[in-house]
Amino acid sequence: MNKTAFQHGNAGRMRIHVLPSKRFKTFAISLYAGIPLAEETVTGTALTPFVLRRGTASYPETRQIREQLEQMYGAGFGFDVYKRGNYQIVQFRMDTINDSFVKSQESLLESSFAFLGEVVTRPVLEEGRFRGSYVQAEKENVRKKMEAIVNDKIRYASERCIEEMCRNEPYRLHPLGQRKDLEGITPQSLYDAYRQWLDHASLDLYVVGDTSLEEVEKLIGKHFDLSAAAEASYKQEKSVRKADEVRTVVEKMEVSQGKLNMGLRTSVTYADDQYAAALMYNGILGGYPHSKLFMNVREKASLAYYASSRYDGHKGIGTIQSGIEIQNYEKALEIIKMQLEDMRAGKITELEMSQTKAMIRNLLLEIDDSAFEMIAYDFNRQFSGKDRSRAELLQQVEAIRIEDVKAAAETFELDTIYFLKGQKEE
Amino acid sequence: MEKLQFDNLQETLYKEVMDNGLHVYVLPKPGFQKTYATFATKYGSVDNHFRVEGQEEVSVPDGIAHFLEHKMFEEPEGDIFATFASNGASANAFTSFDQTVYLFSATENVKANLETLINFVQHPYFTDQNVEKEKGIIGQEINMYLDNADWRVYFGLIEAMYQIHPVHIDIAGTVESISTITKETLYTCYNAFYHPSNMLLFVVGGVNPEEVFELVRANQAAKDYKPQGKIERIFEPENVEVAEKRRVAKLAVSMPKCLFGFKEKTVGFTGSELLRRDLTTKLMLDLLFGTSTELYQKLYDEELISDSFSHEYNSSPQYAFSAVGGDTPDPDKLLARVREEVDNVLKNGFKESDFERARKKKIGGYLRMLNSPENIAHEFTRYQFRGSDFFSVVQVYESITLQEVNDRLKEHVDWNQMAVSIVVNP
Repeated sequence: MNKTAFQHGNAGRMRIHVLPSKRFKTFAISLYAGIPLAEETVTGTALTPFVLRRGTASYPETRQIREQLEQMYGAGFGFDVYKRGNYQIVQFRMDTINDSFVKSQESLLESSFAFLGEVVTRPVLEEGRFRGSYVQAEKENVRKKMEAIVNDKIRYASERCIEEMCRNEPYRLHPLGQRKDLEGITPQSLYDAYRQWLDHASLDLYVVGDTSLEEVEKLIGKHFDLSAAAEASYKQEKSVRKADEVRTVVEKMEVSQGKLNMGLRTSVTYADDQYAAALMYNGILGGYPHSKLFMNVREKASLAYYASSRYDGHKGIGTIQSGIEIQNYEKALEIIKMQLEDMRAGKITELEMSQTKAMIRNLLLEIDDSAFEMIAYDFNRQFSGKDRSRAELLQQVEAIRIEDVKAAAETFELDTIYFLKGQKEE
Repeated sequence: MEKLQFDNLQETLYKEVMDNGLHVYVLPKPGFQKTYATFATKYGSVDNHFRVEGQEEVSVPDGIAHFLEHKMFEEPEGDIFATFASNGASANAFTSFDQTVYLFSATENVKANLETLINFVQHPYFTDQNVEKEKGIIGQEINMYLDNADWRVYFGLIEAMYQIHPVHIDIAGTVESISTITKETLYTCYNAFYHPSNMLLFVVGGVNPEEVFELVRANQAAKDYKPQGKIERIFEPENVEVAEKRRVAKLAVSMPKCLFGFKEKTVGFTGSELLRRDLTTKLMLDLLFGTSTELYQKLYDEELISDSFSHEYNSSPQYAFSAVGGDTPDPDKLLARVREEVDNVLKNGFKESDFERARKKKIGGYLRMLNSPENIAHEFTRYQFRGSDFFSVVQVYESITLQEVNDRLKEHVDWNQMAVSIVVNP
């Protein structure tokens, strides 16, 4: 692993993290702005970046914004809105060519900060609120996106499973918000929501590329108009929610293939000492093509093309997903439950242990080769408050024994079974 | 070992052709942890009718190249994923119209993993039993794609355009077509297309080129490959006209999906000519349909398109077509408005300033892609199989003129050559 590490600083209420590196052809920039996930704010927060990207004080027309990005050698610019633990995060990303590869007169790093600062902190306003036509168009756009979730059946089934499982907590909310809220949003109310978000969000700005902390601090000071409000940081509560009785939810739709999804609860989260054991649990169960789910559901029983598991350490949730022939539901469920039982019983081979360790090791080592992966790992540290380097995590994973995985398995409890099946079938 | 230096990109490529005809390329990425290797054969879903020099002409079932890809992972001692996992490598493969690619990514044990990759691809092991078992798995993969609206609308467009050329046949085939596959047909295809002289090994990452070549030389020298005659790929002549003007599929979607595109009248280009035509067309399509164009903004404001609206160009020596579109509430209105707006552009051509900006964007996009070892390996191989030089892209973009782009616009956008594919709710 490279001995490079992020340098940390501040500009007002924004935390700044810079990794000077000459290995990449670009400057990778990421801004994370997170607020607690809540019914009242989820939709406005999600809608905000869609409106921000439409026009700024200097580039009030959308085409001007997009032309500016093209002038900067087609700088990559995008944003995501997602849930992490009990927070809703808006993440802006830029990926701009290092000037040395092109014949650019201006500093593309400075242009990038000027651009991002504009988009995030200086939107185009009309009488002190967002431009009405942009708000209207983006409400419509987000509404379509919400409706379009159903088009991707794999994703739809996985989100529905989580929604059912967390139906009594904010985590049920979709990161894009709630359709019923959209209608009531006005240019004024959205502008207020934007100010609330910007003034109260935890802000972390990352840069990887041929630059320095001092340079970035200067650029932020010059190009970001942030209020003097106090710096906010993420707070983690220990998840105490236990799995209820296993609940089965069946939904019918026009589909060729059935989607079987399962949700599990665990008390082990990112900041816990048992995190490495939980990673191993997931890896052995279904993280890889050598894992139990792939080997038993796909290779042995020939029931599915995909059968895998995921572990979300920020929320303390495990999920299983597979696409099967609808009439094979019982058979697939039985095989999957058998794997869960084997995990709990510690029926794990030394080979499964060593293969899974090797895969996790590879995953952690290759983070170094991607600027945005390095950023994401460091952000997890900021987010969880757990200062654990990749080298430390790697050591912990190497030290895991079968009984540790068994102990982790005992914390994973099946909570919800979700099955999406065809209209016609019984 | 041949050394090719690209100063403007700060990259160096090493090349060697083995005695048996295998082409090997190494691109060292100093400071990278990961090594990414692809082992590709110039053999994809379109190669369903062929003759190897001195042998009988054969026609094989649809979907067999993809089926073969699946079956390669099985060895007498078990699944090859397990071998990769033991060495911490993440392995995969994919089949496209004209190539099949096997790959791994690893941060350690690179030599062992490279040996595994080469050896398993050069060792077919098909039995009646393991061929039958795979039909269930691939059947589920086919079903998964049947439920995928984006795939359906994309393939629908190709089906509408091409009547005879096998590019219109789904890469995985159908449940019926794969039911006729036997171990004998698999061996026939394997023996024809997996000869080293039809294959390319690309290794990129933190490696020493000489060590890689040494390993491959020794590995290949130990295998007894007889020289193979030329492979003749047989394609019946395709009509110039599109097969169908409009094709509609029914699937549960929140909003119709509409893709349209133009089938090229003239094909048969190879090498640098094909590359120049490909890049010129992509530049042209971006000037016509890109997110900063007037057309895009108007259609967005009219709520006829959303963020899903995109464009691509797919070109090979035997087929070439554009695909433009996305989600729309009203496919007919969208098509009418596109025609109106495009006709306007056709009258006057593009503006010099827009052209320069779009060129910058394309060059920047290419340079950004070079941050990713995966993209470099995939794109390099794809270009090489078409006789084009991946590392000349920036020079070609720099030499393209506005006149050429305007000429390409007039030639490509021929309304008689347009086909439309739509997916709507049942």
